[in-house]
Amino acid sequence: MADNGSNRKDPKSRHDLADRLSPEDREKRALRDKASIDRVLRILTPFASVAIAMMIGSLFILASGHSPALAFSALFQGAFGSQRAIGETLLRSTPLILTGLALAYGFRSGLFNIGAEGQLYLGGLAAAFVGVLVGGLPWFIAVPTILLSAFAAGAAWAFIPGLMKARIGANEVITTMMFSYIGRYLVSYLIYGPLSDKSGIPQTAQLPPNSILPRLNTLLPFLQPTRAHTGILIAIVVAVVVWLVLKYTTLGYEARAVGFNPLASQAGGISVSSTIIKSLCISGGLAGLAGAVEVMGVYGRLFDTFSSGFGFTGIAVALLAKNNPIGVVAAAILFGALSAGAGTMQLEANVSQKVIAIIQAIIIFLVAAETIVTWLVDRSRKKKAVAPVAV
Amino acid sequence: MLSEIITPDLFAAAVRLATPIALTAVGASICERSGVVNIALEGLMLVGAFGGTIVALLTGSVWLGVAAAVLASLLFASLHAVASINLRSDQVVSGTAINILAIGVTGFLIEMIFGRPGNVGLSDNIMAEQVVGHPVRIVTTIQPVFDFPVGGTGALAVIWRWVDTIFFSYTPIVYVGIFLAVFLTWALFKTRWGLRLRALGEHPRAADTVGIHVLRGRWVAVLISGAMAGLAGANLSLEQVGGFSDSMTNGRGFIALAANIAGRWIPGGGYIASLLFGFVDALQLKLQLFSDVINIPPQFFLMLPYVLTVVVLAGVVGRAVAPAAVGKPYKERG
Repeated sequence: MADNGSNRKDPKSRHDLADRLSPEDREKRALRDKASIDRVLRILTPFASVAIAMMIGSLFILASGHSPALAFSALFQGAFGSQRAIGETLLRSTPLILTGLALAYGFRSGLFNIGAEGQLYLGGLAAAFVGVLVGGLPWFIAVPTILLSAFAAGAAWAFIPGLMKARIGANEVITTMMFSYIGRYLVSYLIYGPLSDKSGIPQTAQLPPNSILPRLNTLLPFLQPTRAHTGILIAIVVAVVVWLVLKYTTLGYEARAVGFNPLASQAGGISVSSTIIKSLCISGGLAGLAGAVEVMGVYGRLFDTFSSGFGFTGIAVALLAKNNPIGVVAAAILFGALSAGAGTMQLEANVSQKVIAIIQAIIIFLVAAETIVTWLVDRSRKKKAVAPVAV
Repeated sequence: MLSEIITPDLFAAAVRLATPIALTAVGASICERSGVVNIALEGLMLVGAFGGTIVALLTGSVWLGVAAAVLASLLFASLHAVASINLRSDQVVSGTAINILAIGVTGFLIEMIFGRPGNVGLSDNIMAEQVVGHPVRIVTTIQPVFDFPVGGTGALAVIWRWVDTIFFSYTPIVYVGIFLAVFLTWALFKTRWGLRLRALGEHPRAADTVGIHVLRGRWVAVLISGAMAGLAGANLSLEQVGGFSDSMTNGRGFIALAANIAGRWIPGGGYIASLLFGFVDALQLKLQLFSDVINIPPQFFLMLPYVLTVVVLAGVVGRAVAPAAVGKPYKERG
C-alpha cells in the first residue's frame, strides 16, 4: 500500500499507523492514493500507448521480413532529419491540429464527430470557391474572409447532424459519417462540373496570390525553403483560442458541462439541445478550417483526393491529447511526423506506409483502454488488500 | 422507360445489395441488445472480405474462404469485446480504433503478400507465387444455389420468371442471411437465452443479481455480431465483387447500424430496413444506366443510400427506443 506520509522510511511505524487508522480514514487514504496514481497514469498513458503501438508496429514490420530499426530510423530521418523533412512534418501537422481540435471540441461536449472528413471537404470547397472571388482584395481581408467562410461551410455540414442529435437523439456517429460520404460526392460533382477549371483534370481554378497562405520561409527568411506554410501559425492560434474558449467562456463551460453530465446541465439551466448543436457546428467549423489551410497553403486549389484522411487521423490526435487543445498541437506534430516519415520509410526500408495506420489504430485502442493500466494496478492491489471495501 | 427500370432484376439486385448490410444489421441488433455498441462492424466486414479473398486464393476453395472470413472477423470482434467489455473502454472509440486497424492491416497484408498495393481479384495470381511460396488457385465467385429453367412464353412463363428471379436467383449466403434473420429474431424473443441477452442491455445489474453472467453474455453477443459481419464480408467479396479492394465496404457497416435502429433493434426488423437500402442502391445503379435520358450527374445517385440513411434516421429515431444500458460498460460484482 503506497504511503505519501512522513513515515516512508520506517516500514514498522508505517504499519502501525495503518493499523491505527479507522476504516473511514483508510478508505479516504485509498481514494487519495488512487487519485494520485490516476493523475500520474493520465499523463503517462499517452506516452506508453505510443511506445507500445510502435512495438506492435515493429512486429508487423518484422513479419513482413524487414528491419524495424532500419524502418524507424528511416521514418525519423524522413520526419526530422533535415529542414526539408521538418518542413514536411509541419506541413502535415497543420490540418491535423485543426481536425484534432475539431474532434477534441466534440469529445469535450460529449459528441463524437467521426465525420470531420466531410466537413473538411466542405471547408476546402468554400476556400476554393471564395478564394477566387476575393482574390482582388488585399490579403489581410481575403485570407480571413476565406477562413471564415470555410468555418461556416464546415459548421453548416455539421448542423443537420447536430440538430438531429439535439432534437431526436439520432446518433451523431452515424449521421456525421453519412454526411461525410454525401459531402465527398457533392465536392466530386462540383469539381467535375460547375467548379471545374475546364482543364480536363477534375480540379477547381488556381487561387489568386492574395488568397494563398505564404510559405513559412517567406515570412521567416532565415529558414530554408520548405513546403511548410503559415497555416501552421493559424492552426496554433486556433488551438489557443479553442483552449481559451473551453476554459474561460460561457460557451465552453456549457459545452464541457453538457459533455460531462447532460442531465445535471439541464437541471442547472443549460439548454442541452442548443449546446449540442453549437458544439457540433463549432467542431465542424474547425474541421472546415483544416480543409481551407490545405487548399490555401498546399495546393492552391481543390481536387478529389486533397485530404489523406486528416479527418479520421484527427480522432487519434484528439484522443492521444486527451482532448486538451494544447496537447492536440503536440499530438498532431507526432502524427504529422509519422505521416511525413512514412514515405522515406517505404523508400529506404521498403516497409509499407500502411504500418502507420496500424500504429495509429493501436494508439487509439490503448488510449481508450487506459483501464488496461489501471486494471493491472487494481489487480495487484486487490491481492494485497485486507478487507474488501463495500460498493 | 419505367418498364425497363422496374424489372424482376431490380428487386433481385435490391436483395443482393441489401445482404451485406442486412447480415451486419442483424448482428448489430444482437450486439446492441446485449448493451454493447459495435461501431467496428465496418472494419469487421472489411477484414472478413479480405480474409475470405486471401484464403480462397490460397486454398482454391471459396468455402474455406467463407470460413476464413468469419474467423478473421471473429478475431477482430474479440479485440472489441476485450476492450469494451473487459477493459471497459469507450465502446465507440474502441470500435473506431478497430475500423482504422482493419484498413491498416488489410492494406499492409496486401502489400506484404502481393508486393503491391491495390485490388486483388479472385482469379488474380500476380506475383503471389513467389511472395507466398504457395501457388494461387484460380477461383470463381460463388454461384447461385438454384438454376431452374426459365424459358417459354405466355403469362405463366412471365410470372415464373419474376418468381424465379426474385426468390431463386441468389447465392448461398443470401439465403443463409434470411434464415439467420428469422432464427435470431426467434431466439432473441422466444428463448431463455434471448430474454437473458435482452436483460443485459436493459439492466445489467439486475441481470447480474439474479446470476446471469453479464460479461460472458456480452462476449457471446459481440462474437455473433462479428460472425455476421464476417459473413457479410464473404458475401461482398466472394459472391458479389469477386475479390478485395481497399475500403471496399464503403460505409456499409455504418448503414447497417442505421438499419438496425430503423428496425428497432429487432434482427428481422434490421433485415427489412436493409432491404430498403438495397432497393435504393439497386435503383441508383439502374438509373445510372439511363444517364443520357435522366440528365443527373452520377454523384447524386451515389449519394442516395447515404441520404436515405439520414432521412430514415430522422424519421424513425425519435420513436425507436434503444436498449437502456447500450454503450455503458458494466463492472461485474465480484
